[in-house]
Amino acid sequence: MTFQFFKNRVLAIALFMMASVSSNAQTPQMQALIGQSLSKIESSKPETMLNCIAELKRIDVLFPDSVLPKYQMALQSLNFSVMNPRAEQTENLLVQAEQTISQMEKMKGADLSDICTLRGFLYMVRIVQNPAQNGQRFYIDVMQNYEKALKINPDNKLAQQLQQKFIEGMKQATNQ
Amino acid sequence: MLLVACCAMSQTTVTGTVTDGREALAGANVFIIGTIDGCLTDSLGRFSFQTNKTCQMTLRVSYIGYDDYTLSTDQTTDLLIVMHERATTIDEVVVTASTYSFGKSDNFKTMDALDVVMAGNSCGDIVAALQTLPGTQMVGENGKLYVRGGESDECQTFVNGMHVLVPYSTNTENNTVRGRFSPFLFKGINFSLGGYGGEYGQALSSVLPMETTDVATGDKLGVSASLVDWNIGGTKAFTNSSLSFNADFISMGLYNKLSPDRYDWTRPYRKLSGEAQYKTELSSATVLKTYVGYDLTSVGQHVDERHLSLNEHNIYANATLKTNIGRGYSLFTGIASSVVLDDIDDALTLGDHYHNLRNEVHMKAELRKVFSSVLKMSAGMEDYLRHSTKRYGTDHYCLDYHLPSAHIDAQVRVMPRLFLNVAARVERDWLLMPRTTLSYVPNKRFQLSAMLGQYSQTPEDDYIAKSGKRLTQSTADHAILSLQYSTGKTLLRVEPYYKKYHHLPLFNNDTPPYRGGDGGGTFDGYGTSRGFDIFVENHSLVKNLTTTMSYSFNDSERLYLDYTVPQTPDYVSRHNLRLTLKYAIGRTIVGLAESYASGRKFPVGTTPCYNSVDANLTWLVSPKIIVYTSLNNILGRTNIFRYNADGTPVTANRDRFFYIGIFVSLKNNKAYDISIF
Repeated sequence: MTFQFFKNRVLAIALFMMASVSSNAQTPQMQALIGQSLSKIESSKPETMLNCIAELKRIDVLFPDSVLPKYQMALQSLNFSVMNPRAEQTENLLVQAEQTISQMEKMKGADLSDICTLRGFLYMVRIVQNPAQNGQRFYIDVMQNYEKALKINPDNKLAQQLQQKFIEGMKQATNQ
Repeated sequence: MLLVACCAMSQTTVTGTVTDGREALAGANVFIIGTIDGCLTDSLGRFSFQTNKTCQMTLRVSYIGYDDYTLSTDQTTDLLIVMHERATTIDEVVVTASTYSFGKSDNFKTMDALDVVMAGNSCGDIVAALQTLPGTQMVGENGKLYVRGGESDECQTFVNGMHVLVPYSTNTENNTVRGRFSPFLFKGINFSLGGYGGEYGQALSSVLPMETTDVATGDKLGVSASLVDWNIGGTKAFTNSSLSFNADFISMGLYNKLSPDRYDWTRPYRKLSGEAQYKTELSSATVLKTYVGYDLTSVGQHVDERHLSLNEHNIYANATLKTNIGRGYSLFTGIASSVVLDDIDDALTLGDHYHNLRNEVHMKAELRKVFSSVLKMSAGMEDYLRHSTKRYGTDHYCLDYHLPSAHIDAQVRVMPRLFLNVAARVERDWLLMPRTTLSYVPNKRFQLSAMLGQYSQTPEDDYIAKSGKRLTQSTADHAILSLQYSTGKTLLRVEPYYKKYHHLPLFNNDTPPYRGGDGGGTFDGYGTSRGFDIFVENHSLVKNLTTTMSYSFNDSERLYLDYTVPQTPDYVSRHNLRLTLKYAIGRTIVGLAESYASGRKFPVGTTPCYNSVDANLTWLVSPKIIVYTSLNNILGRTNIFRYNADGTPVTANRDRFFYIGIFVSLKNNKAYDISIF
């Protein structure tokens, strides 16, 4: 059961979604910093993603009450993990993503649709890590989180595309 | 001005090493606070980056699992930074001692409903699946949960924190019963084998709290069919709520025709069940869950000269509300009602009639608060209102009583790796029961816990009636030591325990039963149960292979019921061993289980040991179709469960049982989802 195609498509979507980041930025300075940070990512070089995640963490310390750096940090951690499911940094990044999503849930300005999308993505990465064991275990969690994200905000493009690719990926993985 | 300009324009290189005191930390995030200047440490823990800051700077180092390190310094080179592991907060620590969790645990699932279905010979039965765990006894003639030398009714079931009076289906004598709830109802199942906190009462040995799934996000519709049961269920999801229904019909008629068993059935076992759930998120902080289920069971059996006919109506309903009321407080309130009506013709003798109505209303309220990272507390009150009517020939009783109680629990982080849970529960007649757990949790791999506590339970209604309607509670003292070690691939748990029972029901054989409440029963019985459990789970032998080993040793003795001297209860096997194996091959999962139990002691002798090899296979035909099949007792061994008083052995109604079922999801985007309810 291979998830290579699945992984590449998911990353492409996630990178595409970065374009929409600037429109949501809460301050011009933060917007510029996040934009600069994300622009350094080269998808073929995992270390650039790790550096970007580290930089986003620093931006988060600069703007502790803002949701956006946390959202980006979690999203990029998941992007890295889906591309490098067995890298030594992946487990820590997934723990960090989980903690960051939990922090976002407690913030007033957080978009519940985004949170559900990230949670769905988190479970999706778990499936990519170990399809045989986690496919059945987390399938429902992925689907329910994307469904909830889209119920709250039907225009959530990231949720739409991740859901679509997830369904395609699972069909492929199960040879349907 | 020049100095300021210099500070602003020149660049400084910051260098150093990050360690945890023993080893270098690779991938730590080192940066200057107030800027995004920084870098990640390399594989040797070294860092080097440039910053425009040249005056005093505040350096921050962060690394997952460690406390953030902050340093204000003028020094910029050769910094040596030693990080300290972050102490687990009271909200994060999950003490696993004496508890096995199905569902979410430590943020990720360890086992879920599908695992329950695929466990050994469970055929989708939660109770049967739990019997693969250590601490449980193999009691084949009824299939109920017997934990660490305790009777089956010493294990109590709770759904969303609310008590279930009768969690099993019914059947005629010496036939296995099943748990009445589908595993797919629940997102989390916690099986505590003892030493539980103050929240749970009226359980001498163990508790089985189960948490139903959250509000559904999408519609579901599905059907399933097998030789013995047929099911249809669905869910309609609304914006902030969902409504589910489920209908299930079990009949052994077809199976008995295809494969006759040892019994003479005048009416095959049949059970018709209906369930409904409504769950709603009233706000982001408030969730209301309601559940109602009804089972009608009917069976007729020709026994000796009797035509036994059994009918049972079992209704269970509950409603719970959880809300965050601000300032870190959360409030839980719930109410549950159980009504169980049994009617049996020719129950023990030709022409007799047995009638029993049991009703319980359970009300509960609890306030919880996390005060800080080192303290969280909860306090609550509850009441059980019970009614029971029994008529059997000249023996009859009518009982009405209630069991109010209150509890308080405090969880404290005494030291960074040392956690203390202190609880007290007060039951009717001011019976005070202290409970405490001390846990040493140095990291996620290792846990060591010591538990001490006192637990109580009113005896069965029959014994209350027999004792003249006295509500003396039986009590049990638990002392448990738990050691758990896990690597990423292997889990080992060892738990020695000691239990001491007091005030068990004891009655004189000369006293006729149920004489309107003036019988001669007492609560002077006592007993002990000691032993140890070992559990090993491994995922590393072969890729996609999961193996488990559960071994339990139990040495128990009690003087209760009609015993004249202290003796080992006849449901106890000294040794119980279960080995399971689960292997995934593509879209197929194969399971194998071996169960062994040493003989049980009866006045006429000791039974031979129990042995059964079971196999199951789950095949994902398509994302919407799952086929499950199992064969119990492949070797066809005739296991003797017990001996009757006249020495006749009691065995299973058939040596082997074959099951094949198909689960179909009728919604387009659903797969692996046979949880249609």
